[in-house]
Amino acid sequence: MNAPARLHAKALSVAFAKTPILKDLTADIPDGKITVIVGPNACGKSTLLRSLARLQKPDSGEVLLDGKSIHKQANRSVAQRLAILPQSPSAPEGLTVQDLVTRGRTPHQSALRQWSHQDAEAVGRALELTGMAPYANRPLEALSGGQRQRAWIAMAMAQDTEILLLDEPTTYLDLPHQIELLSLIQSFNQQSNQTVAMVLHDINLAARFADHIIALRAGAIFTKGSPAEVVTRNNMEQVFDLRCQIISDPVHRTPHVIPE
Amino acid sequence: MSWSLRLPFLSLSFSARAVAVGSCLLLLVTVGSVLALRLGSYPFTETSWLSVLLGAGSEIERMILMDHRLPRILTALGAGACFGLSGAMFQTMMRNPLASPDVIGFNAGASCGALIAIILTGGNVLLGALIGALLTAILVVSLAWKEGLPPQRLVLIGLGIGFALAALSDLLLSRTDARTAADMAEWLIGTLNARDWQDVWLVWSGLLLLAPALFWIHFPLARLGLSDDLTSSLGLRLSPLRLGLTGLGILLAALAVCTAGPLPFVAFAAGPIARALVPNGKPALLGAAVIGALLVLAADTASRMVPSIQLPAGVFTALIGGPVMIWLLMVQFRKGKL
Repeated sequence: MNAPARLHAKALSVAFAKTPILKDLTADIPDGKITVIVGPNACGKSTLLRSLARLQKPDSGEVLLDGKSIHKQANRSVAQRLAILPQSPSAPEGLTVQDLVTRGRTPHQSALRQWSHQDAEAVGRALELTGMAPYANRPLEALSGGQRQRAWIAMAMAQDTEILLLDEPTTYLDLPHQIELLSLIQSFNQQSNQTVAMVLHDINLAARFADHIIALRAGAIFTKGSPAEVVTRNNMEQVFDLRCQIISDPVHRTPHVIPE
Repeated sequence: MSWSLRLPFLSLSFSARAVAVGSCLLLLVTVGSVLALRLGSYPFTETSWLSVLLGAGSEIERMILMDHRLPRILTALGAGACFGLSGAMFQTMMRNPLASPDVIGFNAGASCGALIAIILTGGNVLLGALIGALLTAILVVSLAWKEGLPPQRLVLIGLGIGFALAALSDLLLSRTDARTAADMAEWLIGTLNARDWQDVWLVWSGLLLLAPALFWIHFPLARLGLSDDLTSSLGLRLSPLRLGLTGLGILLAALAVCTAGPLPFVAFAAGPIARALVPNGKPALLGAAVIGALLVLAADTASRMVPSIQLPAGVFTALIGGPVMIWLLMVQFRKGKL
């Protein structure tokens, strides 16, 4: 048995208006890996991610970050270790890419220390990595959907945390931009060894980019493991009610779902 | 383009445009103040005002300038800055330009409280305005609350409460003697008639005292513009932040109302005008303060320029603010935010 993961959900239960969303769910987010949470609509994927990021308070159970309950730690200290990009985030009109990415530095800043050398460095690095440097002075609303999403990712990267959570980062993007964004996240993960956990809708993209997949069904973990372990004909039928064939992706050798 | 300032204890970045626009506005304030000093029923020439200010001139000239016009102008600038700051803070916090204290009833609450304080006790206007604004804020927010503060609920309920409070103020007026009632009615529209150095001292010492808090809160306020989830994921604590902002905003609104009366639309228009001049998605607190000061100065000077009848300054701020409100409403409708 390895050392426990830095981010751990312990017997989480969450309900909205008496409807249970997560039921006694326990999960590890493996350090340094890319974890993808998959499952049918309304299975609790986003709720799990939001709970892991302390944006959703559980009714019972707890989320442990570095062995301590995340809700009992100072919010700022959590934000220095864990960043989350929520689903369809919004920014005030006119905010430039540079200013947005600078917002990511907030947990390292204060009213008196709003623009240190480290801030400038981290913002510059995030803009370079995401290829957004040429657009730094453009307002967000003047960008295409793909560029805008990369600007948000750059903000989360500038936060410079060991753990990054992303809630459906590929929503509203066409396939080439989905691939581009996920490749960006993957290369960042490989370079910096950052722990990534994200919710994705597309099971084939999950299989291609994940090291570890958590498959949810009705608020509980149905199965978890490597893509090869999770993406099987039997699991897909049980989790998604989808009858399918699984082939091996001829390029990446990851499992690929062909619906029947 | 932006500039960085790095000192051992302080590091900031400025946008060049904000600095340029800010300098122009400050120049406008200076020129406007000098014009306001010179113009009026007893005009001063291009140079005579300065010599009177420096101690020359006749007794009457000194009285007009030092005891009447100067305190009136300084009060106008201070109250305008308070209105502008308070409006921009609420608008940024609620992420909605309609959520300014004059639209959602807070100013009506402040003036109603001030009236009650004057009529019942003859006493402390500031305290009355503060308590009035605070109680109104608590009432409006608790009525509008529904798993958060939906903007349209807040605006509609705030408008309704504001009307009810205006009616209450009218009722209070009808219960007092005619002379007081006439003075109070003018005050209720908003006027800077007969301000003295005590008003100047009150509004400017208030601003000076609150300045460090404003500087401090500007940093989290700029982040609050993103969304609740993002703000707290960046490590800020929402509830204490909102509480602090509301408290500061109410203090500023009460300070402005008790020195200039509930001048309509200044708090509402200052922020959007400042943000239109520097459209960079930031709260524009300083810009809103200067625009607010300019608006009140302009309205008060205009009210002094109309011969024979004394129109309260509130009439003129309404003339400026009305079109701004229509413009904002149209923009909000087009974006489907209302």
